[in-house]
Order: sequence, then C-alpha cells, then structure tokens
Amino acid sequence: MSVPYAVARGLGKSFYGKTVLEDVSFDVEPGDIVGVLGKNGAGKTTLLELMLGFTPPSAGSVELFGHASYRLPGSAKARLGFVPQQDELVNPLTAADQIGVIASFYPRWDDALVMRLARAWEVDLGERIKGMSVGQRQKLSILLALGHRPDLLILDEPVASLDPVARRQFLEQIIDVAADGARSVVFSSHIVSDVERLANKIWIVKDHRLYWQGDFDALKDSIVRLHLRAPRGLPDSLPIPNALTVQRNGVAATAVVRDWTAELHHDVADRLDRDVEVEIEPLTLEEIFLELHR
Amino acid sequence: MFILKPHSGVPIYRQLSEQIRRMAASGQLPAGTELPSIRDLALEHAINPMTVSKVYSLLEAEGVLERNRGKPMTIARVARAQSPAAKRVQQLEPQLEQVVLAARQLELGETDVTKALRNTWEKTDERSVRRRTGAR
Repeated sequence: MSVPYAVARGLGKSFYGKTVLEDVSFDVEPGDIVGVLGKNGAGKTTLLELMLGFTPPSAGSVELFGHASYRLPGSAKARLGFVPQQDELVNPLTAADQIGVIASFYPRWDDALVMRLARAWEVDLGERIKGMSVGQRQKLSILLALGHRPDLLILDEPVASLDPVARRQFLEQIIDVAADGARSVVFSSHIVSDVERLANKIWIVKDHRLYWQGDFDALKDSIVRLHLRAPRGLPDSLPIPNALTVQRNGVAATAVVRDWTAELHHDVADRLDRDVEVEIEPLTLEEIFLELHR
Repeated sequence: MFILKPHSGVPIYRQLSEQIRRMAASGQLPAGTELPSIRDLALEHAINPMTVSKVYSLLEAEGVLERNRGKPMTIARVARAQSPAAKRVQQLEPQLEQVVLAARQLELGETDVTKALRNTWEKTDERSVRRRTGAR
C-alpha cells in the first residue's frame, strides 16, 4: 500500500461558535482524483482551506505528506499546489512577471511546461493582470499552480469562469498530472459533468459533514432508482429498505434507494408481491447529487 | 475506437470493459490488436487514467487482454476460444434490459419484441451483406 498524501481524522472547524465542518475523515492516495461536491455554503471551501493549512482546525487533524497542514515545512509546501477560489494575482504585474515571482519560490520550477501551457491556453504573458478577464486570470492561476509539478494539487472551483474549450484543456492537464499514478488532485466544482469524467473518488459535503465519500464507481452502483410496476395494482405499503424517496403513480412507483446491493435486490423482490416488476435504473452523478439533497 | 458516455449513469469502467470484451469476443478487435496507452485513452475521452488502468487490469485477469513488457496491451490470442456463446450473451444483458424496459413502457409483449428483433436482425444482415458485396 502506498502512503496517502493527505489524511484527515475527525477534522472540524467552527467560527465564533458556529460549526462549519465537523467529523471529517479521509485519505487521498497517490493517483487519486477527488471531486468535491456540495451546495453553496456546505463547507467545501473551508474543507479545502483546512487541507491547505490556511486556517487551524478546531477539532481533529489534517496532515499532508505526514505533516500537520497548519504547520507545513517548506519541503512539504514545495510538493503542494493550489488554486484558490479568489485568485491571489498581483494586479500591476504582467503575467510573465507574476510567473517569475512564483517561480522564484520553487527550485523545481518547470518553465518549459508553463510556457507550453501559456501558449496552448492563450494566456498573453505580456499582458498586465489588471486588464485580464476573469477567465484569463483563472487560467493564469492554474498555470502557476502547475509550474512546480506538485504531488498534490488542490483546486477550489477552478473552472467556474472558463469556456468549454478552456475547460477541456484544463481537464486534459489534470489527466496529465494524474496519468503516472504518482500525483493527486482534489478539486471542488459545480460542473458535475467534469467531476463525472475525472474523479475516481467523490466527496459530497452536506450539512457540514462529509455526507458521502468513496469510490465513484461504488457511488454509482450504490444509489439507484427502482421502477416498480404491477398491472393489477401495487400493494398499499411498499416495504423498500434504504429508500430515500418513494413516489407512487397509479400502477407504478419509483423509489430512490441508497446502499443498493444484489442482496437488497433479492430482499425487495421477496418482500413484494410476485406480480410486482422491479426495474433498476442507474443514475447520473447530477441525479444522485439532487436526490441526496431532496 | 470506443464510445464512452460519462454521463450515462453506467460507470465508465463498466462501459469500457464491456465494449472491449464484446469487440474481442466478436472478433471486431482480432487477437493481437494493440490498445491505446492508458494516457492516450484517458486524454482522448477526458476520463480518469485510473479508470482505464483498472479496466486493463481487470481484462488482463480475465484473459481478454495481454500485457506486453514496454509495449501496448493487446487483445489476447485465446480471447475468442475462451468465451462460448452463453458467456457472450451475458455481455448483451445491459442492452437487453434497456430494450425490455422501453418495451414495457410502450406496453409491448414479448412476442412483439422478438418479432421486431428478428426484423432488425435481418435488416442489418442484408445491409452488411450489401456493404460487403458492394465493396468488392
């Protein structure tokens, strides 16, 4: 087993007595691409900021590369890259100057990579940051986070202002980072279709907790929609275990079920009348997300 | 080479593994065919490289693919012999379920559907015969 890059145990954060996040535990392994989903205000940004050590935890711990992230030594910082939701670019500088400033902090800076991406992403290096569009600023922030080839890349809503072409270029870059299985990415996004493509692990932040976390494939297999049909009418009670929602509509009903397994399928079949037909429909990530927030 | 729909609800690894199995079993991808590298396939479809590597390992364990030192993965020589018709029919299961689901919604019976299936079968058969003879 490889050593996880990031480990949290019982992590929590309160501001002025108000709980923003509680009891969060996770591991990020080398090669993982973690997609963080959650409604606005669910606590995603706080979670990422705790990982980055921008703020100390109120409870529990989070470690990066074996060090408490709040007191990260320089050697560990050099292995970390991040793109905050609000960029930290210096307005009067040109893109090239800003790149130079950041590069000076890192002995391992890959200038060839940055120049190649700047060209591919159409970032004008001579342009002053002050005059850049939100999308251009976002691209530049991502470039700056990739330049030192971090082992762990943490991005908070990195693509919110990017057009579809730039978003695809960004996705390709993330794939490139993760392709050798030695580097990891944690990113939050409201663009569920991007998360669906890239993530092998999903974290769903809800009610200030890590409401669901695990393998994306397992998530897709474990939350399904059942379609029940009985030509002679459905029984009055529908004993469906783990049901999140049940909707009846005459001779048919639909139910969304969590923790679905083959055994549960038999269980449901046993509990229902013989002439009730059960069909299983897999759900997209967006549907799963919506169902979990009903 | 493959048709992957990340937003379909069916996990990507299953879509990919089923397609490779099917194409290997049918001979559409003959033994020895080289598969794209993990990185290339991931980039082409903008999907997680780990998903591709998971599929390749799974199919290697099943004997569908062969790993070659320093070279691309290939379709295994024995892939076809190893899967009798009954096994290959299993791979049709997801598509069949889709058809049955749609048929039920349309309130069609089993006989209607088998008849339609036979028609479609014959139609595509004619088409492929025509295409084959036309090409010569």
